[in-house]
Amino acid sequence: MKGFLFFVFCFLLCVLFADTAKGQVGDKQQQANVRITFINTINQQPVVLDSGNYSNCWNENFTLSKLKYYISNISLQTIGKKINREENSYHLINEEDTASKSLLFLIPPDKYASVSFLIGVDSLKNVSGAQTDALDPLNGMFWTWNTGYIMFKLEGSSPQSASINNKIEYHIGGFSGINTVLRKVELNFGSNVISVNKDHLTEIIIRANLEKIWNAGDDFKITNTPVCTSPGGLAAAIAGKYSSAFDIIKIIQQKVLYYSF
Amino acid sequence: MAFINNQPPHKVTHLKLVMPAGWPKPSTDIFAFNPLTEEGFQLGRKLFYDARLSKDGNFSCSGCHQQFAAFATYDHDFSHGFNNSFTTRNAPGLFNLAWQKELHWDGGINHIEVQPLSPLTAVNEMAETLPAVLKKLKADTAYIRLFKAAFSDGIINSQHLLKALAQFTGSIQSYNTKYDKVKRGEDSFTLSETLGYKTFIAHCNGCHKEPLFTDNSFRNNGLTLNEKLKDYGRMTITGKPADSLKFKVPSLRNCTITFPYMHDGRLYSLGKVIDHYRTGIDTTQRTLDALLKKRMAISNQEKVDLVSFLLTLKDEEMIHDTRFLQPN
Repeated sequence: MKGFLFFVFCFLLCVLFADTAKGQVGDKQQQANVRITFINTINQQPVVLDSGNYSNCWNENFTLSKLKYYISNISLQTIGKKINREENSYHLINEEDTASKSLLFLIPPDKYASVSFLIGVDSLKNVSGAQTDALDPLNGMFWTWNTGYIMFKLEGSSPQSASINNKIEYHIGGFSGINTVLRKVELNFGSNVISVNKDHLTEIIIRANLEKIWNAGDDFKITNTPVCTSPGGLAAAIAGKYSSAFDIIKIIQQKVLYYSF
Repeated sequence: MAFINNQPPHKVTHLKLVMPAGWPKPSTDIFAFNPLTEEGFQLGRKLFYDARLSKDGNFSCSGCHQQFAAFATYDHDFSHGFNNSFTTRNAPGLFNLAWQKELHWDGGINHIEVQPLSPLTAVNEMAETLPAVLKKLKADTAYIRLFKAAFSDGIINSQHLLKALAQFTGSIQSYNTKYDKVKRGEDSFTLSETLGYKTFIAHCNGCHKEPLFTDNSFRNNGLTLNEKLKDYGRMTITGKPADSLKFKVPSLRNCTITFPYMHDGRLYSLGKVIDHYRTGIDTTQRTLDALLKKRMAISNQEKVDLVSFLLTLKDEEMIHDTRFLQPN
């Protein structure tokens, strides 16, 4: 009897909750789940912090100890050129935190042709005071002496680096003027227009080919530039390199088996 | 019964900044996303005076920003930090911050809320980390209570910590000096002050513009480079050679109690400052301010009167305001 009463009580609560929730998230129930997953790689190998050994086009060997970057302002463009944005779209991709590399959000069902995002935090959030969640200065991605977010952080070491302890340290930031490091990346689905709908979870897997930070077309090498930790021309140049590193390697759609609210 | 909210609605007492008559409007509203409340102010006040915000428990914000010195460090060129260190610039007074677009001598800080991150984490200041500060606050029942009073969700996080501090420091205002009272017709200048005011208008008001006594610009006032510090000021932030050796024009309000002067506190008296502008300017500097290319012709008598005028900029009400005192 007690168990039954408890069951009834729970049922009533659920009804009550569902009813109040409907008003707030009514629209969201009509929306579809999209998950973007980032895979960081170097020369096609997934990045393994500390133990992975890599080399760039200059045959400079290196290991990585930290890899973090901001992805913000994610939007999907429909085949009809309509742009649907993720609300409050600020994410910190942190290589050492697997969960941080998968971004789940809701978007209106439609036929989509491309996805775009900003590498970094838009300038408005850089001038609007104390933020929280992904933008919390606790995340170690905020400069205290020259206000602004570190948009992209790569740390490691290389025998070719002449800096202290053979460090490589790229803290890339700066959000205004000609030296802004903010870069918009747009990736087309090509012939694979995807039909996003509420019965399916659409998963877009994006690979960051970070070996592109180095290329044979210029003289940016670990040997001559192991460190960049302030805004300026160098930071902007490095941002230009990693902004070309992203491509879509797979899009998966699977039926949603449960509702979450 | 997690679904049923028995909490009374979150009640706060809203406060407003004073906008003195005739003052320019601040370029942005520093409290636009941080509604100023009595509860937020009181939390910020406790944090401002709490030395536990530093690594070794010795350095509070108020240690270097003393109310009796208009929230500058009294009689110190550089302030003292963790492990017997010095800061590398003179601590500025804190008042009328709502009218400042950028903070710090080099303008590196673009919002009042994020400023405390700098002294909090600098190894030669409070030398602490944010996670460690938050851990200390979360373990303190007084703070748990104050955060609940100030913010509806009561969460102790960096955002609330910083917003509360901004509510306290942003509320410190100077607008009741003798100068202000004279302007309002409540008082009158002595003859010497009147003459000093004339000299001020002729030579100083170009940069130290009334009524804030700063135009918040960055200028090179012809000080020679300190070879040890090699501080190039604004250029450190912008990376532009044209900004080399430029520093923010400080307000002259309360200047009689914020000595020593200049970004590195190298001049100990107002007389020495006036002498710098009369005979000390290094006119060979490429980025020297256009207004200072010619050395100032200020006679000894004018210098005495100018200092009399500057004395009228001391805000006794602000430095004795019990709302800004260390809380019990």
